[in-house]
Amino acid sequence: MEQETTGSYISFVLGEEYFAINVAQVLNILQLVQITKVPTAPDYMKGVINLRGTVLPIIDIRMKFGMEPIEYKRDTVILVLNVEIDGEIVNAGILVDAVKEVFEIQSADILPPPGIGSKYKSKFIEGIFKMNDEKFVMLLDIDKVFSTDELVMMKDTTESPESKQAETIE
Amino acid sequence: MDNFQKKFLDEASDLVSQLEQALLTLEQDMGNPELVDSIFRIMHSLKGGGGMFGFDNISNYTHRLENMYDLVRQKKLKVTREMLDITFESADHISSMLNDDGSKTEEIKKNEEILNSRIEAILDGDSMSVVTVGDSVEVKPGLASYYVKVKPYEHIQRNGTNPLLLIDELVGLGRAKVNIFYSNIPDFESLVFDDTYIWWEVILATESDIDAIKDVFIFVEDDCEIVIKKLADGDVFSFDGIEPLLQCSHDFPFDLEKITSLANTIQALEKAKTETAQAAAAKEDKGDEHIKKFAKESTISGIRVASEKIDSLMNLVSELITTQAGLNLYADRAKNAELTRIAEGLENISRQLRDTAFSITLIPIDYLVVRFRRLVRDLSREVGKEIEFEARGAEVELDKSLIEGISEPLMHILRNSVDHGIETAAERKAAGKSPTGKITLSAYYSGSQVIIAVTDDGQGMNPEKIRRKAIEKGLVAPDAQMSDKEAIDLIFMPGFSTSEKVTNISGRGVGMDVVKRKVSDIRGTVSVSSELGEGTTITISLPLTLSIIDGMLVRIADVDYIIPLSVIDTIFAVEHEKIVSSFQNVINIEGVQYPFYYLRDEFAIPGDAPEREEIIMVKYEDRKIGIVVDNITGEYQAVLKPLGKLYRNQDIFSGASILGDGTVALVLDTHKVINQFTRYNDL
Amino acid sequence: MAKTILIVDDSESIREVVNFTLQTAGFEVYAAGNGKEAVELLDGRVIDLVITDLHMPEMDGIELIKYIRATAGYNRVPILFLTTESQLAKKIEAKDAGATGWIIKPFVPAKLLAAISKVIR
Repeated sequence: MEQETTGSYISFVLGEEYFAINVAQVLNILQLVQITKVPTAPDYMKGVINLRGTVLPIIDIRMKFGMEPIEYKRDTVILVLNVEIDGEIVNAGILVDAVKEVFEIQSADILPPPGIGSKYKSKFIEGIFKMNDEKFVMLLDIDKVFSTDELVMMKDTTESPESKQAETIE
Repeated sequence: MDNFQKKFLDEASDLVSQLEQALLTLEQDMGNPELVDSIFRIMHSLKGGGGMFGFDNISNYTHRLENMYDLVRQKKLKVTREMLDITFESADHISSMLNDDGSKTEEIKKNEEILNSRIEAILDGDSMSVVTVGDSVEVKPGLASYYVKVKPYEHIQRNGTNPLLLIDELVGLGRAKVNIFYSNIPDFESLVFDDTYIWWEVILATESDIDAIKDVFIFVEDDCEIVIKKLADGDVFSFDGIEPLLQCSHDFPFDLEKITSLANTIQALEKAKTETAQAAAAKEDKGDEHIKKFAKESTISGIRVASEKIDSLMNLVSELITTQAGLNLYADRAKNAELTRIAEGLENISRQLRDTAFSITLIPIDYLVVRFRRLVRDLSREVGKEIEFEARGAEVELDKSLIEGISEPLMHILRNSVDHGIETAAERKAAGKSPTGKITLSAYYSGSQVIIAVTDDGQGMNPEKIRRKAIEKGLVAPDAQMSDKEAIDLIFMPGFSTSEKVTNISGRGVGMDVVKRKVSDIRGTVSVSSELGEGTTITISLPLTLSIIDGMLVRIADVDYIIPLSVIDTIFAVEHEKIVSSFQNVINIEGVQYPFYYLRDEFAIPGDAPEREEIIMVKYEDRKIGIVVDNITGEYQAVLKPLGKLYRNQDIFSGASILGDGTVALVLDTHKVINQFTRYNDL
Repeated sequence: MAKTILIVDDSESIREVVNFTLQTAGFEVYAAGNGKEAVELLDGRVIDLVITDLHMPEMDGIELIKYIRATAGYNRVPILFLTTESQLAKKIEAKDAGATGWIIKPFVPAKLLAAISKVIR
């Protein structure tokens, strides 16, 4: 018999869509606190907060996915994740419109990600799962969202004059 | 004193001749007491003069002979043939000590050892106890309290004694209370001029022993009544409840009986308490004789601690400092004086704890120097150059993590100096230099920075050559205007190498750009200065510690920023109007033109600026450059936290710090701010 | 005003080292080679302290002490004499003659100054 693996996921809402992340990568859920903006950083990098004495970067994942910037509402929360960047595990928070539920799924029930023409960059999606209420949940490969390539690609709009100059010289 | 010494030498030579004369006579008349006396006196004079004029060797040596002849004087020893031989040889020995210009010191020393052992043999043969050379070891009796009565005879002043000076001297030995007795002063008519009528009682707590107290009165033993009594061990003034008995009063003597009995009771109590405690302690460590012995024998001057423990201590201290800031904020808001006082007291302790904790993580640069010395030696052999390596300020201490971070960049710099800086012996000779090149590593503190400079006396850098190379490599535009210094600074650009041939030591890939980046990683800066033909100096500035900085808390819109105090020169308040109307970001303050950066613009912060803003003059290389912020909150001790990997491109912030109210402030690296917002020709 | 000290000793090296030590300590110093020279030097000068050796040619220390104690104007001047540990008999003789105290030879500057501070300040 083929080995069946199960995984626990937490689902959350971005705009109209449902996403889920493996709970192994979620540290906790925080109520919104004041975020200190870091000037010169790309807009989707919202700033930093104080998480029990450490500085936690906060990402507006909606902007990363090409959606409208997040609006802070009553249900807005921060999901604190551990992600791997260049082989190093770091903590980062993502802003989500609301968290939904924690659920278990069998690996066999995970559908492959949508192909070309999909609304979202499919490389961030490791699979799709159909919930009992017929809603589709996109399972995120969060490490890919934070990968260096992505960060470079999503390079800031407030580019520094120095780097601009370096480009012109080259 | 040279003059005195010369005179002593003359006198001593005379004494030696006198000694020889006396010995010759004594040889004929062994046991003549007058001759023995005069030999003793000669030894005594030599010993005294030697001690006084810095000839300790003579003083020490004659001391033994003096002892020997003293025993003869006291009829405890008899003059023998051997004794005379020794003394004759001693006369020669003393002469050679007097005439020694340093060339014969060894020989004299050997001779003295032989003579000494012969003297010892004579003294031992008589099984006499010998007074050891030098002062006997003074045994400190510890703190004790004494009663001293000083009652001068009426005539004491007649031979020039001033008894007040003696009371002064006595009181100077420790803590004292003095009772003065005037009752013996007669009627004015019968008063005799300069007779003495008053007398004193003194209670003295001192570490000096009873002999030292007696010594005060050594000149007047026969001129007054002196009573010295020990009251108790310890300082009676510190005994609880005894104070009323120690009040000074005229003509009322101290109640010695009461003082003594009370002092004894108090001491018995203390002793009992200590013994109980000791008994309890003894019970605990019974059988641990070994450990006790060890503890007694050696005081441990240092311990080794696992670095994880130190890291954890540092983290706790950092958290303490942050929590402290919260307490301060709360105390300020509460407007409760008592709370503020406690918060301030605690802050003081936290600061000290921080300093102590951080000093634990400091390691002297010497730790690296050993490796560098070897490196320079090996490399210079490999390339066939003669290079001397000198390290100054190796005792300068750096944070453990900085030591780790600085090692590699310094190694690159040293490699560059050996490879490109120092010329071959032939080239150096041709240039009129010593064939041996020199590389100096010097470290020193400068404010809250540690400066490490590597200087070589090599060929220096040719700015023109560098410029050409940079153009060749497309690093700068062919028509770019730049000063020599700016040209030399090009070596920090990626992929720069001026070496004609690529060697296996510092070829491509270990350029100065790597050095610069590695130094930046630990919040340091690197600069270069070079004089063609004279040599090159690479200077690295590092923060003393990585994690805590003294900063100035400032605000722009709703975000707090921290600027390290170490870079701040002055702060001016300016009208926003003046900033708006300034031309090309240069502002005139008190007649001086300063370039400035308007952070609201540079950071693209929306919203209106306040009418009055603050311009902070920060040190940038050898200039002062303004940074404009909305307002200044005050000084702040910031625990530096990394902003993390995601913000690695925002290196204008060296980190963040959590404020007392739990919000995050960003720590500005003004150097990088200025670099980032400056186009090449702006400065 | 600086205190004035007269040092009387026939050894030039002792005179000079005492002179040097005392001048360094801020005293004004006169020096004489024996009792006779000392008497000549005194001649109406204000002297705050006399330091004298005991064995000297011409006029020795004991004679000098007696002379000073018998001279109006100097009879209360403190006098310290230089002696060695062994000369106990001389010590009593000098005290009886009117000396204030003594300094044991050999001495180091600190010892000299300590003895002086017992008698003048």
